[in-house]
Amino acid sequence: MTYQRILLCCIIFIGCLSCQDDANKRIVPKAKKITSAKPLIQHNNTEKETLSEYGFFKLPLANLEPTDGVVLYDLNSPLFSDYAFKKRFVYLPDSKKINYKNKGVMDFENGSVLIKNFYYPKDFRKPEQEKRIIETRLLIKEDDAWKPLNYIWNKEQTEATLNYVGKQELVYWIDNEGAERSVSYAVPNLNQCKNCHARGKNITPIGPTAAQWNKTYSLALSDKNQLDYFYEKGILEELIEPALRPKMPVWNDALLPLDPRAKAYLDANCAHCHNLEGSAKNSGLYLSYTQTDARKRGVFKPPIAAGKGSGDFIYDIVPGHPEESILIYRMKSNDPSIRMPEIGRSIAHTEGLNLLERYIEELAQNK
Amino acid sequence: MKKVILILGGALLLLVLYKTVGSGLPEYNPERSYVDLETEILEAFILAKDSATIELPEGHFLFSQSLSMDDKKHITIKGKGMDKTVLSFKGQAKGAEGILITNCTNFTIEDLTIEDAAGDNLKISESKNVIIRNVRTAWTGTISTQNGAYGIYPVLTQNLLIEGCEAIGASDAGIYVGQSKNVVVRNNRAFYNVAGVESENSTDVEIYENDIYENTSGLLIFNLPKLTLYGKNVTAYNNRIYNNNIENFGVKGSIISGVPKGTGVIIMATQDVNFYNNTVEDHVTNNLSIVSYLVFAAEEEVEAIVSQDVQSRGIRAVETDYESDTAYNPYPGNVSIQNNVFKNKFWFPTLSNEYGWLMLFKNKATIPDVVYDGILPDGAALQDAEHKICIGDNGTFNFVFMDAAHDFDAFSNDVSPYTCILDL
Repeated sequence: MTYQRILLCCIIFIGCLSCQDDANKRIVPKAKKITSAKPLIQHNNTEKETLSEYGFFKLPLANLEPTDGVVLYDLNSPLFSDYAFKKRFVYLPDSKKINYKNKGVMDFENGSVLIKNFYYPKDFRKPEQEKRIIETRLLIKEDDAWKPLNYIWNKEQTEATLNYVGKQELVYWIDNEGAERSVSYAVPNLNQCKNCHARGKNITPIGPTAAQWNKTYSLALSDKNQLDYFYEKGILEELIEPALRPKMPVWNDALLPLDPRAKAYLDANCAHCHNLEGSAKNSGLYLSYTQTDARKRGVFKPPIAAGKGSGDFIYDIVPGHPEESILIYRMKSNDPSIRMPEIGRSIAHTEGLNLLERYIEELAQNK
Repeated sequence: MKKVILILGGALLLLVLYKTVGSGLPEYNPERSYVDLETEILEAFILAKDSATIELPEGHFLFSQSLSMDDKKHITIKGKGMDKTVLSFKGQAKGAEGILITNCTNFTIEDLTIEDAAGDNLKISESKNVIIRNVRTAWTGTISTQNGAYGIYPVLTQNLLIEGCEAIGASDAGIYVGQSKNVVVRNNRAFYNVAGVESENSTDVEIYENDIYENTSGLLIFNLPKLTLYGKNVTAYNNRIYNNNIENFGVKGSIISGVPKGTGVIIMATQDVNFYNNTVEDHVTNNLSIVSYLVFAAEEEVEAIVSQDVQSRGIRAVETDYESDTAYNPYPGNVSIQNNVFKNKFWFPTLSNEYGWLMLFKNKATIPDVVYDGILPDGAALQDAEHKICIGDNGTFNFVFMDAAHDFDAFSNDVSPYTCILDL
């Protein structure tokens, strides 16, 4: 009996020798960290090495308390980034203004800087208490073009340092239900900025549009509209009357109907690539809030370049069947070759998924 | 009881024998001791301004992610030589390619080795005026289906030179020029790949002075359907193509997995091909064949459903509905085969594929040097203006007209209908 077992084991072992080599191919070898004796390229860095050099925030830096010329703003429906909180500011040099645009991104003058801080409160139920700031992304307007730069915060939260190559950072928090959560947060490298911020060959901001800014201002004591607040502050010009301004719904406002909420969510999370000029233009799937063609929105639309990402499903959206819709499949997946959005997310957004599943179910009833 | 032990023992013995004798796939095991300079090199790729030269030092550098560069001009990436500067992507966590270059003009990469990327080792897409010089790309260990698809993979490029390079272990093609224009591929070596060198859907291509050996198939001149660009005008001369007989380790369902082992040169569905002054020898299936796309489409029909995984790796699958692509011509034409040397040390065709068996019965068990499938569209005739094949003076060689479209009815060794001269 034992002989038999030994022999069997031998056979299995030898049988596995062939698989072993393939497995070896995926094993990461050891590598000692070194530095180069001389720089690999001539690079005259003219960028500020640290965030504090800009003087956007009063000290201590981690309070993110803006100095003069730096104004907090907020969006109706922001992009999901692995549950990170975001605090956004715009810096305007002396006497520079923002020109109101009813469609597309506001018109900023040279020298303007958009400042976006990514952080995790220790306890999401007490967002104003202890927090961990991970990165501060800047979009700087120079010579009529936008330039991205990124600063990563130190553990002590006293300073953020210029970074080009990105970083993985393990973060922990307690979610709204009191559960402990964690994620390996990916700070993007500079090349990856283009992935979302490209319009044709140029870099562009995404958030500061009339529709996204058209909301109650978070800092005002009254129920003042953000656009009106900026206008009265004298930093926004050529504002039009309230009735003519577009408005992006708040994706998680339970008082609103599902359809506009879902469309707002898709606009914020997908449309920066899924538009006619974005990096997903060849997909044929266009998810801007204003897109009205159901097929272009994915309804009974077969994928064009999804490859493995289709999960063997036939359509992006099958009304009434979220479980057969590629859109849901890719939003659920955490596999880098399947998931959507491709970057900026490594865990699924349960609340967003829930909204879109209900929206797809409801699409069948509307027919 | 004893019987069971005997049977199991026998099985064990057979397995040991199979593992030691049976697995004839070659290995490539260079000595490596890796260091990590990832941040600095990645930073150089990101920050390089137009006209910059990135000088990489000596060493075996390991990366956890792809190195990419987009939309830059006059960039040179230079190592200290292919034996000294090694960029390894073994076990990479992020990205498919080793190095990925997109939308660049006047781009040069030279004097280094790129190894073990999850997908392609060096991919250059939508770029102009590209030089790839003295670059080795390889997958280490025993060659395997798990290896990346393409070693050197310029696609949708214009004005391209690949010279002095070495390509080892690609599970599709070692040097693969796709949908490109004005291309020179010279003085390279390709071995241990499924296909050594492949020109796919490319136009105005010159392939010369290359050594292509110990692949499954040596040189492929292909034109495939359903792509944005189609190719023609490919010239190949002074190449040494020999002993391409290793087992096919391509991913199932890919075009390349349908290529029989022991094929020296395959000219498929391409117009204006001038093949001269080459040596092609020692192949167990045939030295050179001129075929239509139908040969592949027909063969793969049964298992044409390719996993999505394969497609997402950029590997070309067989298109069974190529007929719906009206811009595509699946038949070869204007092909000239002149002044080549064909030899064979093998005296019996392989019985590992149907072509071998066909030659066993139809060709007196001789391995052919030049094969023409003879498949033509409806209404066309052999040697009409669109489908001319000219096979001139190539010393002594065995010619086969297969007549593959009619169950090999008119199978023939008579080359006289094809002795003509083309002005190419």
